[in-house]
Amino acid sequence: MAVKFFVNGMPAEFDGPEEVPLLWVVREHLNLTGSKFGCGIGLCGACTMHVDGTAMRTCIMPVMMAQGRHVTTIEGLSHNGEHPVQKAWTELDVPQCGYCQSGMIMAAASLLSRHPDPSDADIDREMTNLCRCATYVRIRAAIHRAAKLR
Amino acid sequence: MSPVSRRCVLTGAALTAASLIVPIGGRAAESNYEITDWIAIAPSGEVTLGLSQPEVGQGSYTALPQILADELDADWQRVKVRFVTGKAAYKIAFRQEPPAQKEGASMSTTALFGRLRIAGAAARDVLIRAAAQQWNVDVAQCRSENGFIINARGERLSYGDLAAAAAKLPLRSDPPLKDKRRFHLIGKPLPRLDTVGKCDGSAVFGIDVMVPGMLNAAIKTARAFTGQVTAIKNEAEILKMPGVHAVVKLAALAIANEDAGVQHPQLPNLPRHNAVCVVADRFWQANRALDALDVEFDGGVAADLSTVKIEAMLEAGLDAEQGVTALERGEPRQILKERAAAVIERRFLLPHIAHAPLEPVNATASYKDGAVEVWGPVQSVSACQEAVAHAVGCAADAVEVNVTFLGGSFGRKIVPDYVLQAVQASKAVGRPVKLIRSREEDMQHDVYRPNAGGRFRAVLDDRGYPLAVQARVAGQSLFGAVRKSWLDHTPEGAWDESMVDGIYNQSYRLPHFLVETVDTPLPIPVYFMRSVGSTAAVFFWESFITELAQRANIDQYAYRRNLLANDPLALRVLDAAAQASGWGTTTDTFRGIAYNCYIGRGGRFKTYVAEVVELARIADGLAVTRVFCAVDPGLAVNPNTLRAQIEGGIGFALTTALKSRITFANGGAEQSNFFDYPLLGIDEMPEIVPIVLPSDRPPQGFGEVVLAPVAPALAQALLHATGRRLDVMPFPEDAFRSRA
Repeated sequence: MAVKFFVNGMPAEFDGPEEVPLLWVVREHLNLTGSKFGCGIGLCGACTMHVDGTAMRTCIMPVMMAQGRHVTTIEGLSHNGEHPVQKAWTELDVPQCGYCQSGMIMAAASLLSRHPDPSDADIDREMTNLCRCATYVRIRAAIHRAAKLR
Repeated sequence: MSPVSRRCVLTGAALTAASLIVPIGGRAAESNYEITDWIAIAPSGEVTLGLSQPEVGQGSYTALPQILADELDADWQRVKVRFVTGKAAYKIAFRQEPPAQKEGASMSTTALFGRLRIAGAAARDVLIRAAAQQWNVDVAQCRSENGFIINARGERLSYGDLAAAAAKLPLRSDPPLKDKRRFHLIGKPLPRLDTVGKCDGSAVFGIDVMVPGMLNAAIKTARAFTGQVTAIKNEAEILKMPGVHAVVKLAALAIANEDAGVQHPQLPNLPRHNAVCVVADRFWQANRALDALDVEFDGGVAADLSTVKIEAMLEAGLDAEQGVTALERGEPRQILKERAAAVIERRFLLPHIAHAPLEPVNATASYKDGAVEVWGPVQSVSACQEAVAHAVGCAADAVEVNVTFLGGSFGRKIVPDYVLQAVQASKAVGRPVKLIRSREEDMQHDVYRPNAGGRFRAVLDDRGYPLAVQARVAGQSLFGAVRKSWLDHTPEGAWDESMVDGIYNQSYRLPHFLVETVDTPLPIPVYFMRSVGSTAAVFFWESFITELAQRANIDQYAYRRNLLANDPLALRVLDAAAQASGWGTTTDTFRGIAYNCYIGRGGRFKTYVAEVVELARIADGLAVTRVFCAVDPGLAVNPNTLRAQIEGGIGFALTTALKSRITFANGGAEQSNFFDYPLLGIDEMPEIVPIVLPSDRPPQGFGEVVLAPVAPALAQALLHATGRRLDVMPFPEDAFRSRA
């Protein structure tokens, strides 16, 4: 039986094995490649999407768990990149290689929905995504900036 | 090669052969007039600037076009950047090797600054002449400004209006360059041009490439570096799985070796097939089939490789009767022998480490009738072309390489082993194939940063400063493994500059000085990694200086200041870092200071760096709170991206100092993913205080320079705080425990 869900507000359907990770369904069947593959075991967070508004690591999330739910990817976070987190990220020029940043932005957006004005301790605790370029100084500053832009 | 050559009027084909931002297949339709190898202008006035250097995160995508656009007097709001390839103008020489189109050795801005200025100025010059002809006035009455040529009467023609005529005029090889006081883009902290695409998911990395008719491949490689496929037991079953097209054994083709442009196997007795891949419609199908594949490997000739043996080799190298002399000044051997009782000695040990870019290595290749096209994260276009050409038997120029954004590389993606695997898979199935390594495959089949050990001995003079020093570094020689032509030869044997980079070439006052290397060759694939040998050598060296200063009971900053007294540029960064950090003020913080002059390959540049690491007490020990980093980078083309390199480079170096270690057993690497090869997290990232000193020197290399001083400065701060000497990387987990 096909798994039916919504991606960025549009209905989506997948009729393959239900344990296929959501990440690959979104990347390969919907051609939304902004969410990245980094580790395959839910550690690095490059694959982070929102499922019903909450950040999820989709490289280990079977597509069946998305049944009936609303999935948001970086492509659907805003029109024209005007989400406060994207605006702050752009203002502070956060990315270097950029590979982790879709996931970082999705994680930060989820953090801000729960903590509108997060402390550094909140950021340390919640932002567990990895950045090999170590853009963390600007990620932290951009999260504080986004909190002000909201 | 001249920066100012061109073919006749083009339609922009040369500049759209590949694009970092336009997805494959979505090539620009508008006609462009090619003004130089680097600049095309559309009738609309939109300027396309060629980028020859892969963007791996370092910011070349913005800083290099900035140089072109400044000399061109282009309107920065109307420029686009396209990756370009295929011309001699895009190649730069690194040392004693043929010019290559490659990002590496922190060389891009240093090597291209002059060339891009001339290219921009030559284009501006023909635009001015085209306008002068149209107005029938003297060129002296015309000036350029922000995408327009303006005459004495105040009339204006846009670059778009002039492009067709300008493209027909001969280029000057010595166009008038701007006075640097007129720079309107160079030296400005402009926002990166690739940021928007990297914040909305539209930036195309290698893993995102889509080519019509493309299949996907997942790969499994023998655990042992010399292992090979011995049996595939259920191929027929696998081929019946949904979407699966083929099971392909992959030959263990040579790992890149750019010596003389030829590919040599890096490992002894390379097996015929060391890996197998499953090719399927979708990557997830390939991956599921690979999981179900019953494949057996053996360990090959070096199946007994292990960390225990490797470390024993290192220790033996450090204690060897003799090393290869890299430098000998004065009479160090005699003094150390005569005053044996007064010798201060320290030993250090560093493991192999992995690059671990967040984008695992991957490539898309299409093999058709002996011609190959490649798309992907490729750090060296030339190395990729040569390796593929050698593998399939065609000319290097016949290999078309489309470079995407690179999701991290740090040197890794210069080596095109993964490209060769994709090419083999494509050849086997007769369709384009995208091959993606899992994190585990990426980690266990990296080309690692070599290990190193250090043995340092010294005798101090009456005032406590070094009289005689012996610095010996042992380890798997990088040049010995992959770049033999870069070895320096002596009667005793060859030595590898990268092993003692930051030791033998510094300006410390050392009247009697002996520098030696000992190569301990290993069957482990190795390659250059960001900051190369200096991460090890400067950790050893600066930690030894720390030891000597402490023995002499002299302040660490004052001690270095004394030893560097004859190098004003060194003192400048040292003073700046110390002053910014409040060195010498007594608070409840512990500080460590370290210095390095990073010297580019072949002496191409010198970037001076001094860092102060500051620790503070926290509830359960100590934490790095701030890192002060003073640099003299020459002219900073883009201070924004330069600062980013300081911030990120220090974070990268903290990962190396605190976490990175690859160990070996049964002939292969033991670590496989980020749980056993962790990276620094945001909760461990200190505040970074960059101090960028103004300089009249041209742009010096920058992408690697801030890394090396981090570990020794941190070790020194920890020594002050805990009294414990640190002599291994990564530092022991309890190194941050407070003194009881």
